[in-house]
Amino acid sequence: MTGARGIRSVTVAYPQFADSARRGVPCVSAPFRRRQSLAYNKPIPEPDPLSRPFWDGAKAGKLMLPRCTDCNRVHWYPRWICPFCHSRNIEWFEGSGEGRIHTFAVQHRAFGGWADEVPFVTAYIDINEGDRMFTVLRGVDPSKPETIQIGARVRVEFEPASEDVHIPFWRVI
Amino acid sequence: MPGELSRAAAIVGAAEANEIGYPEIPKTSLQLHIEAIKNVSDQTGIPISAIDGIFSAGWSSQIAEHLGLHPRYIDTTSVGGCSFEMHVHHALAAIHAGIIDVALVTHGEAGWSARANHGRGTGRPRGMGDPWDPGSQFSAPYGISGAPSNYSHAMTRHNHRFGTTPEDFAHIAVVTRQWATLNPRAIMHSRETHPQGGPITVEEVQTSRLVSWPLTLLHCCLVTDYGGAVLVTKPEIARSVKTKPVWIAGAGENMSHSNMLEMGDFTATSAAASSATAYKMAGMGPEDMEMAMIYDSFTVTAGITAEMLGLAPRGEGFTLWKDGHAAPGGRLPINTNGGGLSFNHSGMYGMQLLVEAYRQLSGTAEDGGYSGLPGKQTKARSCVVNGTGGSLSTTGTLVLVSD
Repeated sequence: MTGARGIRSVTVAYPQFADSARRGVPCVSAPFRRRQSLAYNKPIPEPDPLSRPFWDGAKAGKLMLPRCTDCNRVHWYPRWICPFCHSRNIEWFEGSGEGRIHTFAVQHRAFGGWADEVPFVTAYIDINEGDRMFTVLRGVDPSKPETIQIGARVRVEFEPASEDVHIPFWRVI
Repeated sequence: MPGELSRAAAIVGAAEANEIGYPEIPKTSLQLHIEAIKNVSDQTGIPISAIDGIFSAGWSSQIAEHLGLHPRYIDTTSVGGCSFEMHVHHALAAIHAGIIDVALVTHGEAGWSARANHGRGTGRPRGMGDPWDPGSQFSAPYGISGAPSNYSHAMTRHNHRFGTTPEDFAHIAVVTRQWATLNPRAIMHSRETHPQGGPITVEEVQTSRLVSWPLTLLHCCLVTDYGGAVLVTKPEIARSVKTKPVWIAGAGENMSHSNMLEMGDFTATSAAASSATAYKMAGMGPEDMEMAMIYDSFTVTAGITAEMLGLAPRGEGFTLWKDGHAAPGGRLPINTNGGGLSFNHSGMYGMQLLVEAYRQLSGTAEDGGYSGLPGKQTKARSCVVNGTGGSLSTTGTLVLVSD
């Protein structure tokens, strides 16, 4: 297919755009737009070609993680290259979905949909596999930060934000 | 006759991304950068880990983070298509000066793929703040809302690791306000300059409105307007003008991450590395510093940075303020303008640090000095200046001395 100015346009079903291909949406002419559901009024992540396996896993209730097959280290967030040994041989695997609180804060000021939720507790999670994720903690009392313990064990759960995107949150166990 | 920089450095390799033009599968700009970088590394046999200087049109901190590098020279000159020739020029100077050995000049721009992915008319280059950016996907969905909501996590971790308390850090706000009361240009100088201006107590800091626990409002810097400029010249000119020279004895820079997701130690910053470089260049150490200008976006920023600069032991940075050493009349005056906390903070505060350091070391901080700006003069003849950028991400340190 040739468009204006002889530029080749592409309508192939890219693996990472499987959902749009299923609907027969050509990738060139249709914006890959964020779908905001009425129920969820907070920012919804937009998966990209690199992170697609993670978001596909999240939708299926799995915490998928990238791991370098040369040095065997897990990194977070997804990379085009291993940040430790600079290999480009990276695979995805299903993680344990468990970790511990590294540090946290209680947000008393926020914007957009999150403004309705203040105060809420944000935290960095040391995942068991070895790198760190950011989250909003479930199962804690934002009015009593002294009761939240650094090092406490947490488990991931996934909350649907839209038909396609389920967002990981971590709950103290 | 060739200039001093002539042949001081050479380009040793050049490579491209795996697919360019109209890639079959649309790419991101970051991906294009990384492919080209990997390829030039393979081509030359120079490992990516040997790169110690990064030059790009705005991407340098994100690229370095993606590669897991902590470069000693970070250049983001972005003035259009000629930027990359300028990067080579800047790299030549940095190599000639002995600051770095291996400079990476990199470019990635998904001019076509951005349109392919997002539809016609939305072909903006993908960069920081983009919905595909790691931070957009893995931080922003969790209600993070600017600097205070990030920096608070560092305070919590510092409290946990060293047994410190938010009250300990509140002393930084109290002492910095003391300096502001001596600077008529400070927003918080007095009740006349601001309804909440004038001296404050630890209790007032702790009972002010919570912004991001454990940070209350008075743990956070102001948001103001500012303009500032400094001139740097060669010694011959510096000796001949009517103003006093303040010498750049040492300089260093570094970074530990771009997004706080990648901050390994929440109680440490790259100021340890950038100040080590600067002290070494100066042939001086923290014990030689007679004052300090420390970026205080938040009390926790200043407290941690004081530790990184070697001015206090690990975990004890706040004691410089709590014990009065940093206060007016103390042995190590810090943030003599009233700081970002109480003088002025426009979003990026590094220039305010420089202007105050010059005024102090040139002896022109008092009323009537030719700087024309009133303030409180100290006796300091040396000053360590440290700027912190991002989310405790990037640091630049200067060691400045007067004659």
